[in-house]
Amino acid sequence: MIHALSDRAERISPAAYLELLVNLTKREVMGRYSQSFFGIGWAIAQPIAAMAVFTVVFSRLGKLPSDGAPYPLFAYTGLMFWFFFSNSVSSGTGSLVTYRDIVTKTYFPREILPLAQVCSRLIDFAAAAGLFALLMVYYGVGVNAWSLMVLLCFGQLILFTVGVTLFTSALNVFYRDVNPVIQIALQLWLYITPVAYPMSAVPERLRPFYVLNPLTAIVEGARSGILFGRPPDWQLAGVSLSMTVALVVVAFFTFKRMDKYFADVI
Amino acid sequence: MDLIASKVNRLRGHREEIHTAEHGSVDATMWALRDVSLDVPQGAGLGIIGRNGAGKTTLLKLVSRVTWPTQGSVRIGGHVVSLIELGAGFHHELTGRENVYLGAGLFGLTRRETDRCFDAIVDFADVAPLIDTPMKRYSSGLYARLGFAVAIFSRPDIVLVDEVLAVGDAPFRRRAIEALRGLIAEGKTVLFISHDLWNVRRLCTDILWLDKGQVRAYGPAAQITEQYMNEVNLAALGDGDAALQTQRTGTGEVRYVSVELLDAGGNPAGLIEADDSLIVRATYRADASIQRAVFQIAIVDVDTGVVITTASSAGDGPTGVAAAGAIECRFTHLALRPRQYVLRLSITDARQILPYDVLMAGPRFAVTASGGAGGLSGTEEDGVVSLPYQFFHRAGADGLQTVNRA
Repeated sequence: MIHALSDRAERISPAAYLELLVNLTKREVMGRYSQSFFGIGWAIAQPIAAMAVFTVVFSRLGKLPSDGAPYPLFAYTGLMFWFFFSNSVSSGTGSLVTYRDIVTKTYFPREILPLAQVCSRLIDFAAAAGLFALLMVYYGVGVNAWSLMVLLCFGQLILFTVGVTLFTSALNVFYRDVNPVIQIALQLWLYITPVAYPMSAVPERLRPFYVLNPLTAIVEGARSGILFGRPPDWQLAGVSLSMTVALVVVAFFTFKRMDKYFADVI
Repeated sequence: MDLIASKVNRLRGHREEIHTAEHGSVDATMWALRDVSLDVPQGAGLGIIGRNGAGKTTLLKLVSRVTWPTQGSVRIGGHVVSLIELGAGFHHELTGRENVYLGAGLFGLTRRETDRCFDAIVDFADVAPLIDTPMKRYSSGLYARLGFAVAIFSRPDIVLVDEVLAVGDAPFRRRAIEALRGLIAEGKTVLFISHDLWNVRRLCTDILWLDKGQVRAYGPAAQITEQYMNEVNLAALGDGDAALQTQRTGTGEVRYVSVELLDAGGNPAGLIEADDSLIVRATYRADASIQRAVFQIAIVDVDTGVVITTASSAGDGPTGVAAAGAIECRFTHLALRPRQYVLRLSITDARQILPYDVLMAGPRFAVTASGGAGGLSGTEEDGVVSLPYQFFHRAGADGLQTVNRA
């Protein structure tokens, strides 16, 4: 097989592709909330509803601990992160197929499509984070320098989300089974990630498995910073970060290897 | 320097293994394009013709880099914009304005670049009053118009057009063709797929004829259309008269056996220059002896209907018919506009009521503009026939009366 394609006179600049990403993100967000009365408010409704359910089920009935923080705030912190991840992956996985019209008709770097899905969830996250700030004030939780760790954790969450989404979206082009599998996997994934409960409540013998889930360190690290003003578990964070970086690199190169067949197979 | 040098050898479809009881698995690979090598110079208008499944769209997809060749290579010198589907990137919930930016972004324009040509796009598409309305309220024609406008204003070097002009109304189609001709005049390269040979001839200097994934012919537009038309006619007539049989009615006592189109020199022709001669020669076979038969030949415009009917009773036609024979009808001055026409032939009894044979879709031919190599004169005129006319104009209020009296 020979692929000799020259770009020597392509005038399209990275700036134009960045613009395309912004436009597709906008299209995604506006499309999602147009003709809806509450609009972006729905982005907040989802974590609030889940927070309420978790508070009743896990805290009141299940008596799960929250390391001393107010349980609703504790759950909301994790849920805010979780929904960013799960919504991005959920809509990102099908993104190439959803946009098959433009995939089969114009050329542009295909990773823009799943990336636009992740970016569109950033807007949702911003709305959810605004409410989080209000909750922090309401519960009177103070902040210190370690609180900034939450930003690093979120950065890592974005990276991890991008990695997973690139991978699943490319695979979904070839096997449509990926999408339903991912939707089910996401439901289970929520419960094997310390979102509703702290890592300290996990039995000792299960912890090694938790370490293999990069989301564990991300959620735990964010909470220890913003809720407790404590440094994260460095060992846990280190493992998680290296796994995340490796995933993104592998996912990106896999995606680029597969993307020339997208239009033929989709 | 913009040059598309494409050498697409053996582009193939998906490999599929067919399992049969006797042979086990058989490799049933389908090659969409194979051994297709050509150079398209900058500023060319290349028409791509061929039957469905010949590989035309695949070729454009290779040039637009939507898909990759399995073997071979494509070299592109310039910014490619493909109009494989108009408004493909548009979102129906967004307004026309937002979609212009979105669509232009898909073609590689930044916001600032789009700002600069925004008014021109809206003008061309003629959607100014609706530009802030969500696209879902647009008609499909408007949708296509805006899509086309965005594409041609995104400063392409190479434009790929795939049968998209089929949508939209006649005035839009004409403007679209004009715009594409303008691009070619500016030195841009246009690759144009259409089943409408007439549009291909209007736009293209060269034609690539694909057949089952291979190059059948590649050369000057006039020459290739002639070849293509001839083959289409031959295909319709040949093959054991299969096509002759399909749309055939009548009682069958007398049947046409063959129909030939000849030019003034007596050579078979599928393209006739306007105002030239057209000779229709047909042979027939009669199973019974018929006292008096009338042969009818009609020229039908594919779009608008019957242009003229002729009958042998009006001329030097045979009266009694037995066994076999031939007729010939000569149109000595074919005053038709450049379009595609089809012949309808029939044989009836003397009162022209009982049909012995009716051939609804006989051979086709196209009329080309007289003078020049079949190109289009600067001003385009619609219609089917050419009648001699003169125009008068006198300025002033009393001028009208003068004209009326004249």
